[in-house]
Amino acid sequence: MGIVCLLLIERQSLADKKVILPKQENLLRYLKRMHLGEILGELGYTEAFEILKQITVPESENLNVQEIVHCRYNDEFSSRLGRFERMFKNFGLNEEDTKRALVIVGELGNNVFDHNLGNWPTNFSGAIITAHNYPETKRIEFVVGDAGVGFLGSLQNAFPNLSDDVEAIKKGLEGYTGRVGENRGNGLKTIQDWTINNFHGMLTIHSGGGLVQVDENGIESKNTCRILGTLAQFVIYYR
Amino acid sequence: MILELKKFGKILNSRSSGREAVLRARQIINGNKDAQEELILDFKEVDIVTPSFADEFITGLTKEYPRKNLKIQGTEGNTVTKDVLKLININKILKSRTT
Repeated sequence: MGIVCLLLIERQSLADKKVILPKQENLLRYLKRMHLGEILGELGYTEAFEILKQITVPESENLNVQEIVHCRYNDEFSSRLGRFERMFKNFGLNEEDTKRALVIVGELGNNVFDHNLGNWPTNFSGAIITAHNYPETKRIEFVVGDAGVGFLGSLQNAFPNLSDDVEAIKKGLEGYTGRVGENRGNGLKTIQDWTINNFHGMLTIHSGGGLVQVDENGIESKNTCRILGTLAQFVIYYR
Repeated sequence: MILELKKFGKILNSRSSGREAVLRARQIINGNKDAQEELILDFKEVDIVTPSFADEFITGLTKEYPRKNLKIQGTEGNTVTKDVLKLININKILKSRTT
């Protein structure tokens, strides 16, 4: 869903923009439950927005879904952390794991604002957040996306010769930062360390045309379809 | 004196909030007649503190009050906060002030 949101943002200024929604009732209900309609409305996809508006779905229909949340400002994001805390608890995480997951979310969100403030490529700023719980496998997928400058755009401030998205993501994961002259960069290292060692999970970063995945088996990377900005997904397994 | 972090929030996140908290703490510390050489940061009842906030807040206070003896308390039972403080090398920060 994160990549869909970024595509919607990227194409928002096109005159003939259009979203073709699935026909199946269950899929439409799922999209409604995800609050996709709110993003469609915000970005001006009127036709699709009106279709989803007609559908009535109670919030309690699928309690394993965290609807799409758009936080325009860092303060707005921070104020939502209490809600994500309740979400993790409702998904089944214990007290300690909830706190640890929340720190990961906090750091991912902070990165969005710290590296894009004053430099958003489009008029759509902020973080897009969504999550899904899979109780059968005790697995949670959490995505923080942004239509920002990406890893490469941020790190080029500190490393002007950097020209590859995959290399930029790897550099970020190693703890390097694009904030020149500031002692930073531990956030992403913490995120991958805790995701892997405390949750036996996986961290996936898709930024620009680069995709990097890290888990207990090591790091894998490839060039892939180009997106505007960054999608950071962490997958965690709980007890 | 004891600075209760819970009064800054149960969820402490972001560098900008950390910087603002330093400014506020400065008012509290400077306006406290009983403020002595020791400054205790009490994390009791704080749910989470992110590395960004912790780094900005604690580093900011150490720069603001280089002569004060800084101590941490109230992290008992909160493994995650302990881990976050380890990540920002809290022992190194505290040790550098006693040598």
